[in-house]
Amino acid sequence: MKKITIPEYMFPAFAAQGIDTSELIYAIHTDLVLDSEDTDVYMAVSKESLFVLCGVEKVAKTAGARRVTTVFEASKTEKYSLVELGKLSTERLLSTGRLYSEKDDAAKILLVFSVGFLADVERLIKVVKNIIEGRTPLEEIVVDDKLFCPKCGTRYPEPERKLCPKCMDKISITRRLLGFFKYYKNKVAIILITMLAGSAFAVVSPLIGTKFLFDDVLTEGGNYYGAILGAVGLILFVRAVHVTFNILFSYVLARTVPWIVYDLKLKIFEAMQRLSVGFYTSKRTGSLMNRVNRDANNIYWFFVDGFPYVIVNIITFTGVITLMCVLSLKLAIVCMVILPIAIGLFSLLWRVFRRFHHKNWVYNAQLNSMVSDSVNGQRVIKAYAREDDESKRFSEMGGKLADVDIKAINMEYTAFPLIYTFLFLGQVIVTAIGGMMVLNGEITLGTLLTFIAYLSMLYGPLEFMSWVSNWWARCVDSAQRVFEIMDAEPDIAEPDVPVVLDKIRGDIEIRGVKFEYDPATPVLKGIDLSVEAGKMLGIVGKTGAGKSTLANLIARLYDVTEGSITVDGVNVKELSLAQLRKSIGIVSQDIYLFIGTIADNIRYSNPDAGIEEVIRAAKIASAHDFIMLLPDAYETKVGAGGQDLSGGEKQRLSIARTILQNPNILILDEATAAMDTQTEANIQKALFNLQSGRTTIAIAHRLSTLRDADSLAVLSDGIVVESGTHKELMLKKGEYHKLYTIQLEGLKTINMED
Amino acid sequence: MATTQNTTASDLSDAIDIGLLDPQKAEFYLTPGGFTGLKYGEADYKRITLRRALPIGQPMAYISVADHDNKEIGMIGAVSELSEEQRIIVTAELENRYYSPTIVEVKSVKDKLGYVYIELVIGREGHPYEKTCTVKDVSKNIRLLGDDRLIIFDVDGNRYLINSLSKLDKKSLSRLEPYMF
Repeated sequence: MKKITIPEYMFPAFAAQGIDTSELIYAIHTDLVLDSEDTDVYMAVSKESLFVLCGVEKVAKTAGARRVTTVFEASKTEKYSLVELGKLSTERLLSTGRLYSEKDDAAKILLVFSVGFLADVERLIKVVKNIIEGRTPLEEIVVDDKLFCPKCGTRYPEPERKLCPKCMDKISITRRLLGFFKYYKNKVAIILITMLAGSAFAVVSPLIGTKFLFDDVLTEGGNYYGAILGAVGLILFVRAVHVTFNILFSYVLARTVPWIVYDLKLKIFEAMQRLSVGFYTSKRTGSLMNRVNRDANNIYWFFVDGFPYVIVNIITFTGVITLMCVLSLKLAIVCMVILPIAIGLFSLLWRVFRRFHHKNWVYNAQLNSMVSDSVNGQRVIKAYAREDDESKRFSEMGGKLADVDIKAINMEYTAFPLIYTFLFLGQVIVTAIGGMMVLNGEITLGTLLTFIAYLSMLYGPLEFMSWVSNWWARCVDSAQRVFEIMDAEPDIAEPDVPVVLDKIRGDIEIRGVKFEYDPATPVLKGIDLSVEAGKMLGIVGKTGAGKSTLANLIARLYDVTEGSITVDGVNVKELSLAQLRKSIGIVSQDIYLFIGTIADNIRYSNPDAGIEEVIRAAKIASAHDFIMLLPDAYETKVGAGGQDLSGGEKQRLSIARTILQNPNILILDEATAAMDTQTEANIQKALFNLQSGRTTIAIAHRLSTLRDADSLAVLSDGIVVESGTHKELMLKKGEYHKLYTIQLEGLKTINMED
Repeated sequence: MATTQNTTASDLSDAIDIGLLDPQKAEFYLTPGGFTGLKYGEADYKRITLRRALPIGQPMAYISVADHDNKEIGMIGAVSELSEEQRIIVTAELENRYYSPTIVEVKSVKDKLGYVYIELVIGREGHPYEKTCTVKDVSKNIRLLGDDRLIIFDVDGNRYLINSLSKLDKKSLSRLEPYMF
């Protein structure tokens, strides 16, 4: 990551339009001008103006030049004064975005571009804003200029992953993967030795079993003429040694690779614990995480079933070819003509098969989803009497799958025999030529038969090598993803010199906080709030107003885009993460219980707590009574596969957990949102016990629960529209009054119906 | 029995008005800044957003009209019901919002480690130009819409549309065929 100003290739284009390039501060390249033939746009900013050049970019090779250059043919130039332009903003459409300016209630569209350029345009707006507000133009402008592979110029498919599929260094990734074997040096040495020895005996086998038998034992005048028993014994011995080495190699391999995959999975898991919440919630990494298991399995199977046989097959292939050349160079040359054709045929066949397999995989996945849909949705299917339609849908998809399977099987049953017939023809040609050579006395019968045996020994490695490269590529891709997780840097990092306070009192100041998860979609647009230590701040607002986001920012699960949050006067970015997180307790409606006992789950926030403390916490959280009604009480297993608990019960365990944590700052994020009235009353009592003496930030949509808050803030569309006490806000008759009255009316209606 | 059920269903549907705008009262206009506005009765909405309820099946019917705060003003039942002048404005705004380049030719498709690089010729008012798009998870991002239309989503969020597969040249079709499900 580095700061860039203007890409060099843009200078001639601006200069050609009479723009003084020395004054330009920043420039970007976008595309798409909907109402003209232009396909490229250069936008640049100077201290006074914004320039927009529309035209067509062409790649040209000037006479005598060694490299191609980019030539921009401008057809239209617009110049806007920054002062008169007004506020610049972007609007995201479907697959396009537009840049527009707003001044004096009038808005003007300046440009439409493909959605992929949205982040670039946002950065340009930031530069303009910095200039207008008198800041350094490139302040807080961090540009990732590495969007294109430096080797081949291909755009990275995912800019966050500096990975070019065309140039990916498979060798270095494989080397790094092989690095996991270094802790098992002795076993790897045994694997390699047994593999080499096994392959060597396999290659030597035809020499003993055919050439030696025919030329030296069965032919009159041979060195061991008539020594049949000895020959058979030797053949058996070679075979036995070969099999022994193979068994030994497989045994050691099977005892080594699972440990290597264990190391790999452990490293992934450890890396996952380091990463920030943002890593897990982003779309990109979401799919990455889903693949972790599959990736580890891909690597496992390649190393168990693929990689060793790559070595075995390479040794076999090289050994056989060498021996063929030694036995008869002339016949070996004949084989060399047949082999490339065989390689070509195998590669072609596997390419076709891959397509069928891919289709088969997709249809199978769809069919499985359909079954799962049907099982989970049985109530709805039956309620709407749609059984026949569901069967029809399944039958259609099943039919498609059957079609693909039939084609694949037909291909397998016809193509492979055809290829093997071709290979047989090759063998016939070698037999014919070799036969003539035997008759001419150029080679012995034993040599010819050995040769034919060797030729058939080549087909296996050829077939294997024609498809293993794809397998290897998939394994490298999996390894790349795994390494990506291991190498990922957490967004929320501990400061170099973290501030550790003696005790966190709980004074919170939120100043000018802006935040966005994705470019051009701000969630918080400038929040100013404060809460004194030990007081309670209630945050209300409609769904999507940014209430939970604000809570996450205080706990530093994410970092603010702009502005600051301080705790006891220290920016949360400077505070020790461990101290901050231990001082903040969050009770949200999203409760997670780990696999373990109820006591373990309560103790999760303070593993050293004794059972008496656990019971005390459960009593304060109004959880003790329901726990004691369970047969195993505090030793009841919960979490996946454990005792089912209701939402309210889980919530009370979560409160008990927070009580044991004993935080100085408490965040209650819709803690009672999904509860019935009685449960809510119980939990409110528990929360009241928890809140005393702590700074509390409570988010709730039921305003009645926040009446006692020391102050309230109403959030709407990312900004604070009102703040004050309940009484003040009710008197103000603004947004809060409106929300409160609506809820009150709603409750009255329910009571009337009751 | 069937009649009773239909009547009941119809009654339920009628209970909520979907808020169709009266084409006679709606006057769409272009602001000097290039945005689309709407005068409807007494109200003047200076910047509106048009969204298709059925963007694939019926792109020119059931168009939601929302104000600048994304509050729905009402729905246009069918764009064809509007006057010529109004239709041009509404169509232009919809085409801008739902702009998806049309694929004229598929020059090559290369599969590299799970990413598919597609070299396309994209048509624009008789001025085709080439573009390479990168697609991830082809089974999700190359989608058949009915029997004859196809849409491709690239890693940047761009959409490319083939309006009629039967009109696409054979070579292009055979290049795409392995990725069509």
